[in-house]
Amino acid sequence: MLESRGLLSILRKLKSAPDQEVRILLLGLDNAGKTTLLKQLASEDISHITPTQGFNIKSVQSQGFKLNVWDIGGQRKIRPYWRNYFENTDVLIYVIDSADRKRFEETGQELAELLDEEKLSGVPVLIFANKQDLLTAAPASEIAEGLNLHTIRDRVWQIQSCSALTGEGVQVRERSALADRHLGLDGDMDTHGDSRSL
Amino acid sequence: MFSLMANCCSWLKRWREPVRKVTLVMVGLDNAGKTATVKGIQGESPEDVAPTVGFSKIDLKQGRFEVTIFDLGGGKRIRGIWKNYYAESYGVIFVVDSSDAERMEETKETMSEVLRHPRISGKPILVLANKQDKEGALAEADVIECLSLEKLVNEHKCLCQIEPCSAVMGYGKKIDKSIKKGLYWLLHIIAQDFDALYERIQKDTTEQKAYEEQEKRERAERVRKIREERYFFLCDFLFPEEKEIV
Repeated sequence: MLESRGLLSILRKLKSAPDQEVRILLLGLDNAGKTTLLKQLASEDISHITPTQGFNIKSVQSQGFKLNVWDIGGQRKIRPYWRNYFENTDVLIYVIDSADRKRFEETGQELAELLDEEKLSGVPVLIFANKQDLLTAAPASEIAEGLNLHTIRDRVWQIQSCSALTGEGVQVRERSALADRHLGLDGDMDTHGDSRSL
Repeated sequence: MFSLMANCCSWLKRWREPVRKVTLVMVGLDNAGKTATVKGIQGESPEDVAPTVGFSKIDLKQGRFEVTIFDLGGGKRIRGIWKNYYAESYGVIFVVDSSDAERMEETKETMSEVLRHPRISGKPILVLANKQDKEGALAEADVIECLSLEKLVNEHKCLCQIEPCSAVMGYGKKIDKSIKKGLYWLLHIIAQDFDALYERIQKDTTEQKAYEEQEKRERAERVRKIREERYFFLCDFLFPEEKEIV
């Protein structure tokens, strides 16, 4: 059971998912924490993660959607291969190391270049401000400003603080879908929710 | 007979009016019901909404208007992005949770900050006093008083209308009539002063775009330099003797 408010909000806004199957592309600079996030989403062990050379893929069931999440290596020399994965993407998740202020400009530049890609035009983007467990992490609002997210006008965007390491903001809970429906958590919790997640 | 012709003329004039593109910005505290309201306007169920911590927009046609509404996140720490959308907005829709008396002071301060902004002052504002379906919701007059709305809009020369409403009561054709009425009012006011607003918005957006373009160019240049430096550093590291030859 995956429960990220940011992702939830974007999934709710998706109209074109007739088979309820959603292709999610996970991108970001090297060492942003994409693979850790992916494993966290899939409730897998995150203790031995090495830099991704190619890609990882996981399928996760959530909110009645089947999420196929593609995590592509972020090192500079392999970034040109990102474009091979653009096709049919429903949601772009862009992961940022919130503590690495020195690279904010570089990550912003990469994101801007991604959003200019024709094959990703109109694709909603969720920015994960990762590594919030570190004391030096910049808050999501600072990242939103630093990355000039407000210049994105052609699509839905959403930013969410998280820590792939602790699972905060990417909360993965083991609960059956039935129990969820029984508790009425599907809608209620979010309608009355606030934005504490930021 | 003369008046009939005059009527005809004005009808013709209206008929020949071009389609007008109008952008509205929708703001208000988190959990006020902004996304529920736009969903209702769009004809989708306003239930089952997750908090917006970012940006989404809807497009709709309303008579001769092509309206775009920017639905912005209302959480305290995302409000900083609002100002970036003011330049291109013809008017403001401010949504208030009327049932949350405790946050009226925060609402008041937030609204004051919006109206005070030089790119908003003088533009019309529609206040939706939402969640009237909830028990204990403040009535129109109380909301006006809590927000010192009169003083606020007079000070900043913003034409204002307040509509008590309930975004979750219905959607599409069954949407709360007050929301519809408010939207009509806002568009009507904008139409009356369209040319002046249009000119102001052109000027402000041109300025903002130029600024953003410049920022973008400068950043691209900085990133290019960083990448280059890193490359040279790597070269120095790998081939130290070659450097001496150069």
